[in-house]
Amino acid sequence: MAAAAAAAGRARRGAPVYSQKELTSKKRGEFEDILEERRMSSDLRYAMKCYAPVIYKGLSPCKPSAIKSAVLHSEQVQYVIRQLAKETGESSDIIQEAAMEILDEMGHSMQLGAVRFFAFTLSKIFKRLFQRVCVNEEGMQRLQQAIQEHPVVLLPSHRSYVDFLMLSYLLYTYDLALPVIAAGIDFLGMKIVGELLRRAGAFFMRRSFGGNRLYWAVFAEYVKTMLRNGYAPVEFFLEGTRSRTAKTLTPKFGLLSIVMEPFFKREVFDTYLVPISISYERILEESLYAYELLGVPKPKESTSGLLKARRILSDNFGTIHIYVGQPVSLRTLASGRINRCPYNLVPRHLPQKPSEDIQEFVSDVAYKMELLQIENMVLSPWVLAAAVLLQNLPAMDFELLIEKTLWLKGLTQTFGGFIEWPEEVYSCFSFLRDVFSDEFIFFPGISLKDFEEGCFLLTKCDAIQTTQQEIYPTDKGSVVISFLSAMFRPFLEGYQLIFRYLSKEAKAAFTEKQFIPGVRNFVFQLLEKGNTQCYEALSSDIQKNALAALVQLGAVKKKKMTNGFTYSINQEAVNKILDMFVFRNQLPRRNDTYPEEPPPREPPPASAAAAVQPRRLRSGAALCRVCGCLGPRVCGRCRRAAYCGPEHQALDWRRGHRRTCAQPGAADDLEDAVPDHNEFLFPEYEILIEPEEPESPADSSVDPDDEAAIDTSGNSDKQEELRATGSASEALESLDEETLEAMAKHETEDDKIFQKFKERIAAEPEQIIRYCRGGEGPIWVSGENVPEEKDIPNCSCGAKRIFEFQIMPQLLNHMKVDSLGESIDWGTLVVYTCANNCNEGNQYTEEFIWKQDFSAGSM
Amino acid sequence: MIKSTCFHSKLQCHVSQVQGIEPEMHNITRKRNLRQELLKWNGWGYNDSKFIFNKKGQAEFTGRRYRLGGMVLPTFKEWIEKTFGASLEHKSTSRASLNVNDVPPSVVNEEFLRDLIATKISYSQDAEDRVFRGHGHCLHEIFALREGIFRRIPDIVVWPVCHEDVVKIVELACKHSLCIIPFGGGTSVSSALECPEEEKRTIVSLDTSQMNRILWIDEKNLTACVEAGIVGQDLEKQLAESGFCTGHEPDSMEFSSLGGWVATRASGMKKNIYGNIEDLVIHIKMVTPRGIVEKNCQVPRMSTGPDIHHFIMGSEGTLGVVTEVTIKIRPVPEYQKYGSVVFPNFERGVACLREVAKQRCAPASIRLVDNAQFQFGHALKPQVASIFTSFLDGLKKFYITKFKGFDPNVLCVATLLFEGDREKVLQHEKQVYDIATKFGGLAAGEDNGQRGYMLTFVIAYLRDLGLDYYIIGESFETSVPWDRVLDLCRNVKERIARECKEKGVQFAPFSTCRVTQTYDAGACVYFYFAFNYRGISDPIHVYEQIERAAREEILANGGSLSHHHGVGKLRKRWMKESISDVGLGMLRSVKEYVDPNNIFGNKNLL
Repeated sequence: MAAAAAAAGRARRGAPVYSQKELTSKKRGEFEDILEERRMSSDLRYAMKCYAPVIYKGLSPCKPSAIKSAVLHSEQVQYVIRQLAKETGESSDIIQEAAMEILDEMGHSMQLGAVRFFAFTLSKIFKRLFQRVCVNEEGMQRLQQAIQEHPVVLLPSHRSYVDFLMLSYLLYTYDLALPVIAAGIDFLGMKIVGELLRRAGAFFMRRSFGGNRLYWAVFAEYVKTMLRNGYAPVEFFLEGTRSRTAKTLTPKFGLLSIVMEPFFKREVFDTYLVPISISYERILEESLYAYELLGVPKPKESTSGLLKARRILSDNFGTIHIYVGQPVSLRTLASGRINRCPYNLVPRHLPQKPSEDIQEFVSDVAYKMELLQIENMVLSPWVLAAAVLLQNLPAMDFELLIEKTLWLKGLTQTFGGFIEWPEEVYSCFSFLRDVFSDEFIFFPGISLKDFEEGCFLLTKCDAIQTTQQEIYPTDKGSVVISFLSAMFRPFLEGYQLIFRYLSKEAKAAFTEKQFIPGVRNFVFQLLEKGNTQCYEALSSDIQKNALAALVQLGAVKKKKMTNGFTYSINQEAVNKILDMFVFRNQLPRRNDTYPEEPPPREPPPASAAAAVQPRRLRSGAALCRVCGCLGPRVCGRCRRAAYCGPEHQALDWRRGHRRTCAQPGAADDLEDAVPDHNEFLFPEYEILIEPEEPESPADSSVDPDDEAAIDTSGNSDKQEELRATGSASEALESLDEETLEAMAKHETEDDKIFQKFKERIAAEPEQIIRYCRGGEGPIWVSGENVPEEKDIPNCSCGAKRIFEFQIMPQLLNHMKVDSLGESIDWGTLVVYTCANNCNEGNQYTEEFIWKQDFSAGSM
Repeated sequence: MIKSTCFHSKLQCHVSQVQGIEPEMHNITRKRNLRQELLKWNGWGYNDSKFIFNKKGQAEFTGRRYRLGGMVLPTFKEWIEKTFGASLEHKSTSRASLNVNDVPPSVVNEEFLRDLIATKISYSQDAEDRVFRGHGHCLHEIFALREGIFRRIPDIVVWPVCHEDVVKIVELACKHSLCIIPFGGGTSVSSALECPEEEKRTIVSLDTSQMNRILWIDEKNLTACVEAGIVGQDLEKQLAESGFCTGHEPDSMEFSSLGGWVATRASGMKKNIYGNIEDLVIHIKMVTPRGIVEKNCQVPRMSTGPDIHHFIMGSEGTLGVVTEVTIKIRPVPEYQKYGSVVFPNFERGVACLREVAKQRCAPASIRLVDNAQFQFGHALKPQVASIFTSFLDGLKKFYITKFKGFDPNVLCVATLLFEGDREKVLQHEKQVYDIATKFGGLAAGEDNGQRGYMLTFVIAYLRDLGLDYYIIGESFETSVPWDRVLDLCRNVKERIARECKEKGVQFAPFSTCRVTQTYDAGACVYFYFAFNYRGISDPIHVYEQIERAAREEILANGGSLSHHHGVGKLRKRWMKESISDVGLGMLRSVKEYVDPNNIFGNKNLL
């Protein structure tokens, strides 16, 4: 009897959520990192991309205001208004107004502009916060399909505020219709952000409105209208609020039953429910939650709170996995469960308490959806490791941690957990093979063969077993494996220590002679404190090999210097060059744009020889007051200020034009209203070109050969030593002699070159450009970072690039970007151009610029 | 063996009797045979009227009975190919004629036969006669005929010519414990005429076709007493001779009978003026195993407890045989005018119909067909004789599709029929067109309207053509409150499409609907649904599953089980859901009292 009842119960509830089979053979799609592309291309372009999402049944999206008015005039809301008017005796107009207010408070006003704003800023923020944001592409495709078929309800798990933004960001990235999101009304407390969220598609619901019938009617109708019209996917959180403990909260049924109603009433054919699992490795609000759970009250959402939250931008929050589940058809869920529709006997616009049948169904669906969310939560190694650590506080052995984590991984898999484990043996192997390329002998370029051979050998001695997909160690093999790994451990740990030294302690540039004692010191300290047992890291053999490997891997840049080599950690040098570009344009005298003859020379303005902001070209074309480009647009009010476009007009308006625009007398002051330079424009000057007087032959050039000559002679120079003591200044007493010596030599070398530099420009101290195409090379400000011939790439036409001119640091003063540390800065900028002068005509051709800084020591 | 020889002798005996001295009976036999000969044995309607593809491969409608008769339909072939993915290469032909050997033998009690002969009521045990009365026009029934599959058919057919004959037959049936299945026009689409397979008693098919006289016409009260077997078109024709009509015009009126209308609660196209059958009927005489049921007077209304007519109407032959009906008549209208309105989309059209119903100014008939049906109607346009007509046609098309910005793939058409005094009709017409204009409607001419109504008669012939090319289809109907009309239409079509996909139907199905009747509180919606079944091993089963799903969808959308087709055996499973347990019990108790031995054992309804 009882068995029969249970069977009947199951039949009524449809298929069980889990079946035995699903546990082990669950197929889940591949993940794709959406930030990867963002790191490679322009966020701005991404934010401004053509966004034309597919929508439900090809409907054209209607304006938020149209939705509001449809809701207000819907039978449902009107009915409640009439009822309330009858009961309270108030006029229905007043109640209608109240309804309108509720709508205004609640309604979203999605605007593409705000969406683009978010797309841009979120790209920036997410890139800083997270290493990867991984999405199952297959799920996105399914979602795209679903959106076109039936109204879609997105049901993400809720762990963080990021959930809100992340899904919209994701849908924008995949060109899908942005969801309208049910958000707590407390968000509205955040001044600007609340409105911004509203424009990005959030609508706001009060936390409790059980008693307020008008509110309930308006809210329910608002949600249903959006769903019925297929205007946008509706998104809300079944859990109602963020789970503070990362455990899924029991579901709330209110919103779910609202979104199901249109189907029950057959106003829509079907509704898709899409469970979405968002798994974090680390949650943004982790410490906040801890405080909250300890009883410190939840801070009210506020904009300043958010700004404070910017602090976290410097932290790393690992990877987010978003798993978009299979859309679940509500119709399929309901089939066989809700037969006779109780909605048939009551007009559909009357508010109706759902029958017990339906309440039970809603609750079942809610639990089912949450289980689906949980099922597809991704467990990363970090999460498992954290779980292990928590049971082994305050500390545990690293080896044990690994062992336990792996054990936990196995357990999780047995339980059907969803694990993303970066465990490709081969990629690890080939990485290590590259790292140890100078340590051991590997025949170049055959890493796969090496790998297979290694596997073969290990299989032969029964250390491992291999199948098509998997390699796993055998019990018997533990002897072999532990022996072999012990053999390699010194190298592995030694390298690790060296890398740690480099990333933490080393300067931006160093010589080998600085490097070796530095590492030795570092390791020695660790050894002394007992933080490592790796005495091998003291060996200069390992140190040198590691450095060589890093050079080969491109992590460290090596440069030939007089006294051996200097090394610099690559990133910086690369970055510094990368943000400067030079373009060449050789406009012939006869061209399409400008007259052949220069405009008549007028007497320079009275104020200064340096030109002030020109308002017009002599030809009469107006120029933008902000950027100086052609300005076809004029201020509609004063008709005098010209702009290149609305952005600069708006900018100038805020910057002060609004004050001067209206004043009739201010016409003459118009030019003065704009400062002679702003963040867009540098002040303008006329460049006078004068030939340089020939100097004494000894100082005539600083070409590489000469430099070398000076270098060789300079080692024993008395003068040097003098200068060395002077400029080494703040006694670096703690350093050992050798380092000190190296540093001293290094700096004096630089100083000597700088000395030359100063002498060279002494004749014309104000000079900003030195021009000598193809002739003698530039004069360097420092001995560091001087390009070799191979560093200067050939022109795209294939010709060599030759030196054309260099820009002197004096220009910085003229351009008023001379505040140290904040402004752009250079020692000298050297421009190399195509020897063949290719591509004459109107277009711009990119050429090569080399930036040399004053060396760190002399600054 | 013995049995069959025995029957043979009886049959001969009967034939000899016919050929013998009874001139009246001979006449009847000839008459009933005439009707049977006129009609198809394995499809809808007249033998001479059907769609064919002529030697040029163009579609053509044969015969002279309909306006479309003898006309070539140049675009129809393309439409069929495009809509169903059908190919004229692949034909599935019906058996040319009935193979008597396939037919189950007639099992008739000899004593009964003797008694029956004594009553001098004409009868037959001929296989063709029995097969003809063993089916309605459900898809599976026609399909079985074409395939030559017969499970259970009547054992004997009797032709009473008057009320008294029926009384005698029912008495005999009670005496010999037989099963009677009344048969009128045979146009049932609810499996109501199907003989229950498990019925062991002799099944007597009681064909009312010979009870077809108008007994009297009362011009003062505008009523006529008519025998129940009269067929719709004959009734109208004969009444017209006296200048009257009933105005009851179901789409099947060429073949369906008055008794059938009563037994199924039929509805006529022009119900807006004349009313449905329940509004038209003044008095019913029905023969039941318990005796005759009738009222004592012929009055417009009486308050004497629940109206016993409502036990009879819709009883679907489970209680007895309706023999005589007194029905309201009206003078033949002075003026008739067709009309049509084009709407930019179905939603606007429905809104307009709703408004018309609200203002209670619906013309005699107003129907709204959806876009698919509009296109279908377009495909049935005959080759036009004069170039001028086609030019006008093009101009109109241009006007509709371009000038008003109507999308030919979205627009829908309402067809109208006005009746009455000329002046009133014109006035009425203006009123309706004014409302239509408010909903973006555009008058599209009389001709389109008339064609629309003509097509409803012809459309029934199409299924037989489809069956020849692996296309099966059927129609079904429902009634639904106004506010759910759109949702229901959309959802049912979507459900059909979804079910077809799931059941492996290769080509998207053709499903279309029209709103055929408007009421104060709702409308009647009529669906056509057909698909190409190539590649499906059991098309009828698949079809039935889909139809069942569609019905489930209708019910879930707040539609009724049936507006006028009835329940029969096809829709019995939903009766409980439709009228509640108690409601069903009420009907059962009536049945138990009236027919305790289940003489009328067609197993319909309950």
